Amino acid sequence: MTDWTREREARDARIAAGRAFADGKVVARESAKALLEVIIRPGDRVCLEGDNQKQADLLAEALARVDPDKVHDLHMVQSGIVLPAHLDVFDRKIARRLDYAYSGPQAGRIAKMLFGGQIALGAVHTYLELFARYFVDLTPQVALIAAVSADREGNLYTGPNTEDTPTVVEATTFKNGLVVAQVNEIVDRVPRVDIPGDRVHFVVDARKPFYVEPLFTRDPGAITETQILTAMLAIRGIYAEYGVQRLNHGIGFNTAAIELLLPTYGERLGLKGKIATRWALNPHPTLIPAIESGWVQQIHCFGSEVGMDDYIRARSDIFFTGPDGSLRSNRAFCQTAGLYACDMFIGSTLQIDLEGHSSTVTTSRIAGFGGAPNMGSDARGRRHPSAAWLQAGREADPDRAPALRRGRKLVVQIGETFGEKNVPLFVEQLDALALAEKLDLDLAPVMVYADDVTHIVTEEGIANLLLCRSRDEREQAIRGVAGYTDVGRGRDAGMVRRLRERGVIRRPEDLDIDPLDADRSMLAARSIKELVQWSGGLYRPPSQFRNW
Amino acid sequence: MTEATLSPPLAGAPSLISWYEATARQRLAALLDPPSFDEFLGPDQREVSPHLPIFDLPEQFDDGMIVGRGLLDGCPVLVAAQEGRFMGGAFGEVHGAKLTGLLRAARDIPGVTVLILFDTGGVRLQEANAGELAIAEIMRAMIEARRAGTRVVGLIGGRAGCYGGGGLIAGCCSVLVVSEQGRISVSGPEVIETNRGVEEFDARDRALVWRTMGGKHRRLIGGADLFAGDSVDSFRAAAITAIQRAEPFSQDVLAAEQARLKERLSRFGACTDATEVWAALGIERPELVPAMVTDDFITLANSKQEAHRGAR
Repeated sequence: MTDWTREREARDARIAAGRAFADGKVVARESAKALLEVIIRPGDRVCLEGDNQKQADLLAEALARVDPDKVHDLHMVQSGIVLPAHLDVFDRKIARRLDYAYSGPQAGRIAKMLFGGQIALGAVHTYLELFARYFVDLTPQVALIAAVSADREGNLYTGPNTEDTPTVVEATTFKNGLVVAQVNEIVDRVPRVDIPGDRVHFVVDARKPFYVEPLFTRDPGAITETQILTAMLAIRGIYAEYGVQRLNHGIGFNTAAIELLLPTYGERLGLKGKIATRWALNPHPTLIPAIESGWVQQIHCFGSEVGMDDYIRARSDIFFTGPDGSLRSNRAFCQTAGLYACDMFIGSTLQIDLEGHSSTVTTSRIAGFGGAPNMGSDARGRRHPSAAWLQAGREADPDRAPALRRGRKLVVQIGETFGEKNVPLFVEQLDALALAEKLDLDLAPVMVYADDVTHIVTEEGIANLLLCRSRDEREQAIRGVAGYTDVGRGRDAGMVRRLRERGVIRRPEDLDIDPLDADRSMLAARSIKELVQWSGGLYRPPSQFRNW
Repeated sequence: MTEATLSPPLAGAPSLISWYEATARQRLAALLDPPSFDEFLGPDQREVSPHLPIFDLPEQFDDGMIVGRGLLDGCPVLVAAQEGRFMGGAFGEVHGAKLTGLLRAARDIPGVTVLILFDTGGVRLQEANAGELAIAEIMRAMIEARRAGTRVVGLIGGRAGCYGGGGLIAGCCSVLVVSEQGRISVSGPEVIETNRGVEEFDARDRALVWRTMGGKHRRLIGGADLFAGDSVDSFRAAAITAIQRAEPFSQDVLAAEQARLKERLSRFGACTDATEVWAALGIERPELVPAMVTDDFITLANSKQEAHRGAR
């Protein structure tokens, strides 16, 4: 007779084994390694929670210290490869296979380990894509997660940095998996229940806060005048042109400049209330002046940002907050919002090729994707109209009957023609292709595919790829804004001139912008301290960002 | 003592031109009485570095040092301003020689005041020997000028701070004005971290860098004499006060300075963090000092700073 409950029985056996190290559900931090050695079995799929922001750091270190004779051949299915311990588990042969989304801080080491064959790579995903696979073919047997506090029943308060936790727990616990949470402290009563206790099997008392990276803090002091010029071009030539209300921003300095120009340059153009009112966005400190000036109506967040908690708590008309008053973030929902409910994604990248493919991969660094490919893609399942979406669709396909024409999401790549260390943004061929060949991958790790990109903005102007009617036009439109890079100097001057006449390429002067006006005095805040002042002292930047 | 609760800054208002943000030429233009500035050896003379082309590095026509004369509140002054955006304001052969020449000229003009607008990381690595020599020559020229009765006022609040040889030269000035953003030290944060380890000094911890080398700390321990807000207006007002404040130079002043430094070492030598120094100065809640607004801080500093007693 078929046994239909083997998974559940296996889970119960693991829980029983783990009880030896627990008082009820509570496990002392010193026992974390021993706990993991009895509840994780060789070959398990394990989700070690961590993304580009929060980290279950204590559990990551405990897992990296387990006895590889007892625990080995794990298949790690997790958002982020961020901490050294995330790769130590492969070095120590505790884990073998990997499916993930983001590896920013470990980009160099993960590349070496992939080349060296210590990691068997499944795929590099976007967040939402990896979450989706948790429910189909990458369901974890064990999830190691992080929360702010827990009570003795295992009810968890994940607080402002809730992020991936509800998704990970949902996929694990309801499919007979086992959930272990590290918490900063055990309390009698949690401020709010983010994860009900019956979904959590063990709680490790870490007695210290889990690590959070302030990834979305951009110091206004580091914004250059060239970046300000690109920001002015974007505001005038895209935000105003399409009336973009609902959007997501990347984390680069160009988009930080846009945020800081809304209350100054945007105000002068009379755009308040007409653009940039509703956001799928982390709580960027650089958005504070726009919020305080009444530009922003609503923001849903993937995660929180270090130092922003008190500000968010005091601005609950803008942010999603719980009954306790603090932010409730949720990466899966916010990614879905960015995909289906936003009309624009704008972000920076490292390389753009002649077709418009873009990538942040270089031959020695694999930073993964995070959420950008999801934000930066057209949602084919979208059915609701908006003015910006319809206008972009009309530009792309003017001849089709309007009632049968899809709209288009605006996907904008913004940057300087020469980026950091004077490396050109535009290349004949992406490094991602060389990497795919070297690692024998079926797919090159492309951040945003050419057919999703609608605009490229540099200090030279805006290339509107929606208006290009052939491959040649597209290439020349890109070369036309590539400035003095080799790609830019290889342009066909006559064709670029004709594209400009058609408005496919728009120079600063075509938009009535004088590059000499791109001055740092245009920024609503020019330092972290001015952001603190804008917030009325509610924003508390971490030490590494305070020059006072 | 109050925490920072301010209205949003008014971006772009001319009276609020940020000293930290401004170029050397913008600072000079707004600091002096308009249109009194008269530049010596200006960019049109093309007195550029002879060393940088060897390293395939771009030159600047003024070599990052602007010298000249002008009026401050009606008083004639000689001025020197470093451009922190060119090679971090670092001293090279020509850059240094312009300041040496200015100070030697000052020595021969009775009663003149020299203003030095520091913005420097120290000596240029590409012309290290010439740069180090320039530092020594500048210090000698400054002491000679001060002996002849010249007052030398240093203004510090630029992006590059005042580091390396710039810190030594600043130490020889009659009076120093500093803003919160200004940093004064000899070894920079990265140098200390590289040589002594991150446990000794974490150069990425900017709050630590600022409370150790920044303007507020320097003001409180007497390393700087006057505190300015980060606006050109505020620096101008402080510079006018500084000129009146500068004491004539003598052996007694030097002896008093030596005694001041000795006592400072014995009082604070055992402290491991600036906040401990501030507590030892009798500041009740030292942790609130970094966030204090300019006016509150000036009041605090005037009541708590170390005794000056004719030193400098």
